[in-house]
Amino acid sequence: MEARRQAALREWEALEHGAVPVVYVGAGTCGRAAGALEVREAARRTLERIGVPARIVEVGCIGPCYLEPLLDVRVPGQPRVSYGNVTPALAARILESYLVRHDPLPQLAVGHFGDGSGAPGQAIDGIPRFFDLPMLRPQVRLVLRNCGFIDPENLDHYLARDGYRGLERALEVGPEAVIAEVREAGVRGRGGAGFPTYRKWELCRAAPGEPKYVICNVSEGDPGAFMNRSLIEGDPHCVLEGLLIAGFAIGASHGYVYINADYRLAIARLRKAAQDMEACGLLGRNILGRGFDFDLTIKEGAGAFVCGEETAQIGSIEGRRGMPRSRPPFPAQAGLFGKPTIINNVETLGSLPNILRNGAAWYKGFGVQGNSGTKTFSLVGAVRRPGLIEVPLGIRLREIIESIGGGSWKPFKAVQTGGPSGGCLSGEFLDTPVEYEKMTAAGSIMGSGGMIVIDEDTCVVDLALYFLRFTQSESCGKCSPCRVGTWHMVNILERIVAGRGEPEDLALLQHLAETVARASLCGLGQTAPNPVLTTLRYFRDEYLAHVRDRTCPAGVCKELVEYRIDPARCNGCRQCVPICPTDAIHGARSEPHAIDPLRCIQCRACYEVCRHDPLAADAVVLGPRRSAR
Amino acid sequence: MSDDLATVSVVIDNTRYAVPRGATVLEAARAQGIYIPTLCAHESLTPYGGCRMCIVEVDGFRNFPTACTTPVAEGMVVRTDTAQLQAMRIDILQLLMSEHTSSCLVCGEKDECRRYSTTIRKVGITTGCRFCAKDGQCEFQEVAERLGVRTIDYPVHYRGMRVEDEDPFYDRDHNLCILCGRCVRVCQEVRVADVLGFKYRGRRAVVGPAFERTHVEAGCEFCGACVAVCPTGALAEKARKWEGKPDREVHTTCPYCGVGCRMRLRVREDRMIGTLPDADPAGGEGQLCVRGRFCVSEVVNEPRRLRRPSRGAGSIAAEITWDEAIARAAERLAACAPGTFRMLVSPCLTNEDLYVAQKFARVALGTNDIDCTARTAYGSGFPAYLDLLRGGATLADVRRASAILCVGLDTRFGRSVVGVELRRAARQGRKVVTLHARPHNLTRIAERWLRPAPGGELALLRDLLAAVASPGTGGASPAGDVAAAAAILRGAEAPAILLGSELLPYDRSAELLQTLADLARRLGARIVPLPAQNNLRGTLEMGAYAGLLPGGAAVADAAARSRLERLWGVPPPAAVSGWNAGNPAAGARGVLYLVGETLPPELRATSDHVIYQNIYPLPFSRPADLALPAAAFTEVDGSCIHADGRVLRVRPAVAPPAEALPDWEILCRVARRMGKSGFEFADAAAVRAEIARVVEGFPAGGESDAPRPYRGAGAVSVPPAAAPAAEAGPRPFVLTAAALEHVHRGFPLTTWVEGAERLFPAGVAALHPRDAAAAGLSEGDEIAVEAPDLRGVWRVRIDPEQPAGALHVTLRHGERLSRNPCRVEVRKCHV
Repeated sequence: MEARRQAALREWEALEHGAVPVVYVGAGTCGRAAGALEVREAARRTLERIGVPARIVEVGCIGPCYLEPLLDVRVPGQPRVSYGNVTPALAARILESYLVRHDPLPQLAVGHFGDGSGAPGQAIDGIPRFFDLPMLRPQVRLVLRNCGFIDPENLDHYLARDGYRGLERALEVGPEAVIAEVREAGVRGRGGAGFPTYRKWELCRAAPGEPKYVICNVSEGDPGAFMNRSLIEGDPHCVLEGLLIAGFAIGASHGYVYINADYRLAIARLRKAAQDMEACGLLGRNILGRGFDFDLTIKEGAGAFVCGEETAQIGSIEGRRGMPRSRPPFPAQAGLFGKPTIINNVETLGSLPNILRNGAAWYKGFGVQGNSGTKTFSLVGAVRRPGLIEVPLGIRLREIIESIGGGSWKPFKAVQTGGPSGGCLSGEFLDTPVEYEKMTAAGSIMGSGGMIVIDEDTCVVDLALYFLRFTQSESCGKCSPCRVGTWHMVNILERIVAGRGEPEDLALLQHLAETVARASLCGLGQTAPNPVLTTLRYFRDEYLAHVRDRTCPAGVCKELVEYRIDPARCNGCRQCVPICPTDAIHGARSEPHAIDPLRCIQCRACYEVCRHDPLAADAVVLGPRRSAR
Repeated sequence: MSDDLATVSVVIDNTRYAVPRGATVLEAARAQGIYIPTLCAHESLTPYGGCRMCIVEVDGFRNFPTACTTPVAEGMVVRTDTAQLQAMRIDILQLLMSEHTSSCLVCGEKDECRRYSTTIRKVGITTGCRFCAKDGQCEFQEVAERLGVRTIDYPVHYRGMRVEDEDPFYDRDHNLCILCGRCVRVCQEVRVADVLGFKYRGRRAVVGPAFERTHVEAGCEFCGACVAVCPTGALAEKARKWEGKPDREVHTTCPYCGVGCRMRLRVREDRMIGTLPDADPAGGEGQLCVRGRFCVSEVVNEPRRLRRPSRGAGSIAAEITWDEAIARAAERLAACAPGTFRMLVSPCLTNEDLYVAQKFARVALGTNDIDCTARTAYGSGFPAYLDLLRGGATLADVRRASAILCVGLDTRFGRSVVGVELRRAARQGRKVVTLHARPHNLTRIAERWLRPAPGGELALLRDLLAAVASPGTGGASPAGDVAAAAAILRGAEAPAILLGSELLPYDRSAELLQTLADLARRLGARIVPLPAQNNLRGTLEMGAYAGLLPGGAAVADAAARSRLERLWGVPPPAAVSGWNAGNPAAGARGVLYLVGETLPPELRATSDHVIYQNIYPLPFSRPADLALPAAAFTEVDGSCIHADGRVLRVRPAVAPPAEALPDWEILCRVARRMGKSGFEFADAAAVRAEIARVVEGFPAGGESDAPRPYRGAGAVSVPPAAAPAAEAGPRPFVLTAAALEHVHRGFPLTTWVEGAERLFPAGVAALHPRDAAAAGLSEGDEIAVEAPDLRGVWRVRIDPEQPAGALHVTLRHGERLSRNPCRVEVRKCHV
């Protein structure tokens, strides 16, 4: 193993500091969707054309979605420079300029990766250090440390960056010491509930029954969440190393990765990683010569949201329909095939190699007392800089949204954490530290990492309806409160957004939400009402506007609002007339225009153009619906 | 603290109880008489925790655990009836009601209108909202009443889903389904059938076979287990949907095959309204197949039942009184010259009927000319089959076997209880090998399917024997399968061989059974015969054959005869009769007495006078001279003997229709009228008492759970093998024929049970699509098949699984082929 690692280090050295230029393309699924493969192809053709023998390395996602696709170039003797929003034409221009004319085009560059990642570094040629960018500055990258740096399909890259040192240490110190280390580090489940990881492990280790199983939960189903997918695509070995460590700690001899079948790239990378591990003795019998046997199965799930729930996931792996069952017995006592089983989230497992390698004390240096370490989030929604981020626990929501995310485009309204199971927090909670207990106290949850920022253009009633429709259609149908209760809630919300709600509906909604939360079988049903409960609590005015005033302040609920032109303000610029898809706007130039409410489909195009066009006078206004449809 | 290991001490509603360790909170509470409402829980199924009605409060638990899924633990403190729990339960129940047709649950008028709901009126007034067949027997209704729910606080939405009624025997109304999952669990856990599952998610979640198949297509056996556990009206039996709640239940034995399932007859106002499985101490844990579950009431409630004696035939038939009928029969029989009386009995009769019937022949008529249709059904293999009964194997042997060879067995519609055993065995990792020429329901679980060419069963079995005897040789094709099957069987512990009746009508069945016996000897396996007749063993032990005396002794056995003489006061005849029903030409013409049997055409032709005693009239085309109405098995006291020797009771549940009488009683009346003594039985128990004196091991109480190997010494003669007929003319098809299994008292069940016709149609010939196309035949066409000794018309069923060039038919009752398989010619019938 050591020989292999030395060879890997040599190869890594050649890549990072060798005499051959290297072109890095961030080609996770997200990068690919933004056109990374076309960029890679353009880079390949350009290199051929200019005759520079450079290497092209595909790396995972480094985080800033708003800069996708990212192309990095390292020329010998210079730090790696990153370029964002690259098109194939731009890629050709950058490469030609940098590699042939030695001009890095600083005006196009996003940042450089010089002098490590410690103190603020120097700008080079006016290019700031990548990690000094406002989005990256507050972040602490522990789990994601390799993402964007290594070729995820190359085991040597991982080994060169101290990969599998955590496993080596674990095998050296023995299972009890591993559990003790994890307890000391204060690792809590990153799937969202925050249960102390060591407690599950101890229960499972002590439970009678052989074989034991460990499952890596990659059933990432929240709308808008992609942390786990990105981590696996960018650094599959770190998750698998964590899986081996967990398996070793609890005495498991078989591991499963339960992953959504539509995560094609992540699955391919996991398979490749498993193949490489097997080839060098990191899977199978007598791993690293320490007498530890471990096999791995990658199980593709069909993507039901409820299969993220432990017992449903176990059922799905067993070949049954993914439906949760009651606890006790807990999976740690009787799980997969009736044997003691641990299910850990991807990120929980991904942080284990770091902890084992660097020790609990190091890990506790991040985060706060009782909430140690870091957490990844998918920061999305109405935020200027969406992306995959990793922050130390205890950070304020404000810092995430404003510093990292750059704030919302329009005035901030709320942030939804934890996806459909989480809550919608209003501006007064922006100073809440991101900690398990504090998030729960605010009515939301930490969740697995979805974080959706909402600005004034979103109606919270509509948002609650959106999430509830999701949980209702994903309810497995087993228990009646979840199956029927959420359906009634959806009906009530549909009534409200359609303008047929009554004030007493809010009490019924509240009552139903509480019943569903208390009486449902599994986490899906118990948390499904959270978006409704929190919005009812923090945005009651908006609900009242819907049921009492019959209007939607955000202008989203079409049945309740109407676009009108204020004749006193309209200057007759005609900017709105040609963009109206239904020809609903009429009026002569320089005369006040009018919107025909019968033709208007409320697409909002005129409203936006009237707000933002320099010629326009901000005359299109939203108001409660007056005309019947 | 509790002081022993078997119990734990828990506090339920402030009272401390010692409850069995491992019990659930629900079980513990129920044992103490504490009511916790449940809908999805069922005592024979695993806990589910879906309906959430049984939520309780347990100290130290987050949320509200369900009592049905939570095991008790030492020191647990449970509260089952707090105000909060009650409020939540009512909430949950109302949620369920909001998507369930609920007038039967909450209508304020329901108590009033129910009194009038069965009134028949022609005027347009409301006589009750009869939405649901389960009204009054619905657990949902019961829970709603106990919780006192009279209103629904949520908007009620009728789902308006289509009622699935395309399958026979039961309907599925999704609008009444509360998704408690009982039917799914019973199908998966108890029946090991996996036909039902949940489909879709969220509000669209429903129960049913996957991929939108019908139950028939999904391989459903129609055992009805799902219908029995359904707490609401979502699953309802088609035939007796509106029959209501039974007044009482009677425990009896199913009459339809040799598996001998115990069943409960459900009776309302002296009418059979259904059957349910009954726990069987000797095996099956309360299971039935489609025949026992759904085909009983229709068979016995059939309006065409014989109700009064009648004489004459065709248009001159006339109902007569019993006195006249008995007098006519006695007169005709008393006038019989020696050798001109013949009796044919059914193997569906009870021991009491069979015993009295043979005594009637031997004492009243002084002849051994009695025969049973079972013998002709088995053909030349009958003696070998009887030897299997001597082996004393029982179904318990199947449970012990690590490998099971099934020969000619299909368990979908008959013997499905055995199929459950086999599926359970396969699930436990025990190996099943099946030998069957056609697709059948064991292929899904079988490790190997040995599929002989038409008529190649014997050769294949011999190959298997050879492969078992000398490993390494696979014999002829399919060699790999034979070798693999042989390896499975050789390596097995206590292997068992299950013998169905598919292969028994083959003309070489004697050799086939011999090979099977050799194979069993070689493997150390036990052969478990699964006869199609429910009282085959009874026909032997009661002596319902020409050469057999009651108790199984040969007629030629002088000692046995003298023992009977001491009991009967008359010596049984010594002459071994030459007559048998399989060879109607033998014996002189005279009176034919049919007991529980129909009249085969060739016997009609060779009889001067036919006395017909059965529960249904004969078809118009084959009239009897005197018809005597008999009581069906639901109407008589009696017993039958399982193939393994257990004696099973048959108990009366309802009165026979009109003037019908038990078979034994009719025979006794005729005999007494003839002036014969020895027929003065007061009731069936008196007959049993006499049987117990004659038949060794027969319990006077008519019930015993001890298996007894068959020990009868007498032999049963078999019809001589027919000479190979000349293969005249071009006969392009190979015909294979199987016996019709679903027969009761000489009639196919499909005659009386509508749904059965859909599942196991009688009179169907299976043909490969290519052959059908070549002959210009399409599905449902009628074809005439001509074999040397068989002419018949069958309906075409095109079956891609049927080998090309081969035709498979199911023989009708009484039909036999002396050469099976044989080459035949096929002609399309033009209507």
